[in-house]
Amino acid sequence: MGTFIQQIINGLSLGSVYALIAVGYSLVYSILLFSNFAHGGFLVIGGYICYYTLNLMGTNIWVAGFAALVGAGFCAVLTERLAYKPIRERTSVTLYLLIASMGMSIVIENIFVIVAGGRFRALPPVIPTTPVDLFGLATTSAFDLLSLVAAVVFLGGLQLFLTRTKWGLAIRAAAYDLRVAGLMGVNVGRLISIVFFVAGLLAAVGGIFLSVRYTLYPQLGMITIKAFVAAVIGGLGSLPGAVVGSLILGLAEMLTAGFLSSQLRDLVVFSLLVITLIVRPSGLFGKDIKEKV
Amino acid sequence: MTAPRPPLLSVRDLCVSYGAIKAVKKVSLDVFAGEIVSVIGANGAGKSTLMNAIMGDVRRESGDIFLDGKPLARRSFQVVAQGLSLSPEGRKVFAPLTVMENLMMGAFPRRDRHAIDDDLKRVFTLFPRLEERRQQYAGTLSGGEQQMLAIGRALMSRPRVLLLDEPSLGLAPIIIKEIFRELKLINEQGTTILLVEQNARQALLLSHRAYVLQTGNLLKEGLSSDLLQDPDIEAAYLGGGHKKP
Ligand SMILES: Nc1ncnc2c1ncn2[C@@H]1O[C@H](COP(=O)(O)OP(=O)(O)O)[C@@H](O)[C@H]1O
Ligand SMILES: [Mg+2]
Repeated sequence: MGTFIQQIINGLSLGSVYALIAVGYSLVYSILLFSNFAHGGFLVIGGYICYYTLNLMGTNIWVAGFAALVGAGFCAVLTERLAYKPIRERTSVTLYLLIASMGMSIVIENIFVIVAGGRFRALPPVIPTTPVDLFGLATTSAFDLLSLVAAVVFLGGLQLFLTRTKWGLAIRAAAYDLRVAGLMGVNVGRLISIVFFVAGLLAAVGGIFLSVRYTLYPQLGMITIKAFVAAVIGGLGSLPGAVVGSLILGLAEMLTAGFLSSQLRDLVVFSLLVITLIVRPSGLFGKDIKEKV
Repeated sequence: MTAPRPPLLSVRDLCVSYGAIKAVKKVSLDVFAGEIVSVIGANGAGKSTLMNAIMGDVRRESGDIFLDGKPLARRSFQVVAQGLSLSPEGRKVFAPLTVMENLMMGAFPRRDRHAIDDDLKRVFTLFPRLEERRQQYAGTLSGGEQQMLAIGRALMSRPRVLLLDEPSLGLAPIIIKEIFRELKLINEQGTTILLVEQNARQALLLSHRAYVLQTGNLLKEGLSSDLLQDPDIEAAYLGGGHKKP
């Protein structure tokens, strides 16, 4: 029983980190209708900014975290301006954006291979990992609880931004019809930049927690595959779907690791993806493909 | 109607192409302050292209557009800021947003909170059905209600010229009558209107002046009342003069 509760908490914690990544990815998808494969790069950028700010400047985690979030947000905007905007302005075929994003993913990864080197780096112990006793029922680590809390805070903040602000409203409108949002007087270029900034920022939060969980290295962004799977299970472009899909995935991974075998984790993840695609191709919260009147 | 004053909206020799297809060819038209001007034409004549090019949503190939004598911007958000707004063909309301949120999107570029509230009241007075449904999702409205919402949304930017692309499309005759009655009222309250329609009779009955567009070319222009009597127009667009609303 103790192990079960413990694995549930670990699963939610891991799932919440996936959710931070999946939501940003889904947000970009909902506006521009392409899978941004450079999204994992934003996470790595966040991780390295945090690492270097802590080590070279000796700041505390709050300053380093802030720098990482803002820095990754700006790099995401830069990626869009340099690699996607020129394509967007010439064609409406989103396949080109997909291909460009694969290229940018390789570019970002290799920038870190060259600049930081390929080795694995551990973040200084800035996020406590001490064991926490849960009312005598189970033990978990402070780290798992903190990543859960961080995800709740940031996803809650995103929800507030989307529902309470003017630009949030415009983003929801644009997710339905970008062209008509432009006809309403929305500066579409600025809207897309805001979306990329938010996506980069959320990815960086995930990146910091993943760097502590696993260590930091240029290919850490590969883990975004899991977040993509979560977003597809939840329904591409749906933010609640991305969150629910991520939690399901985190739970499935941790329960598999706890009760079957750690090696089967990825097998379970991709089995869930295949089952979803067969049973419900548009995902749990996906929109039906049929057009509206 | 034809006193020598400058037009509010002036389109000069506008050409628009989609690749090799020339959709609008050297079209010039004027809309004077206070007028309702309609552009009638069959399906594929280039009406929507004309509207979208004015709004900056489709790139102009050549030609100039002036609003109040000043060149009109080329990007949609700047065009809206300058004082035009469009109720697009097929209504295009934001289905997953509420009626209220749709109207707020119409007011997106504005910051004058109180004036926005006044315009909201004006829209609800024109279309009381929208007020009853303000928290309902736009996707659940009937076609006529969605058209009302699209017009209301376009009004929320307090445009100097309101552009309407086929507001009668796919609606029952009784709903068309209702919507056109409100359009007349909107105009009487001071909003200048440029309307494009396949439904030539309704458009001519509503508008002061009209242009006839055929495969991208302007064929005719004149007072709507004259065009209603024109035998060519009658044969081509009004179904021989009798029946068909
Ligand atoms: N996005 C587009 N790409 C290519 N051709 C288009 C596009 N939109 C319209 N057209 C063509 O331009 C012409 C004018 O279309 P349109 O402006 O929609 O006419 P209308 O609104 O009068 O029905 C038509 O021949 C149509 O096929
Ligand atoms: Mg049309």
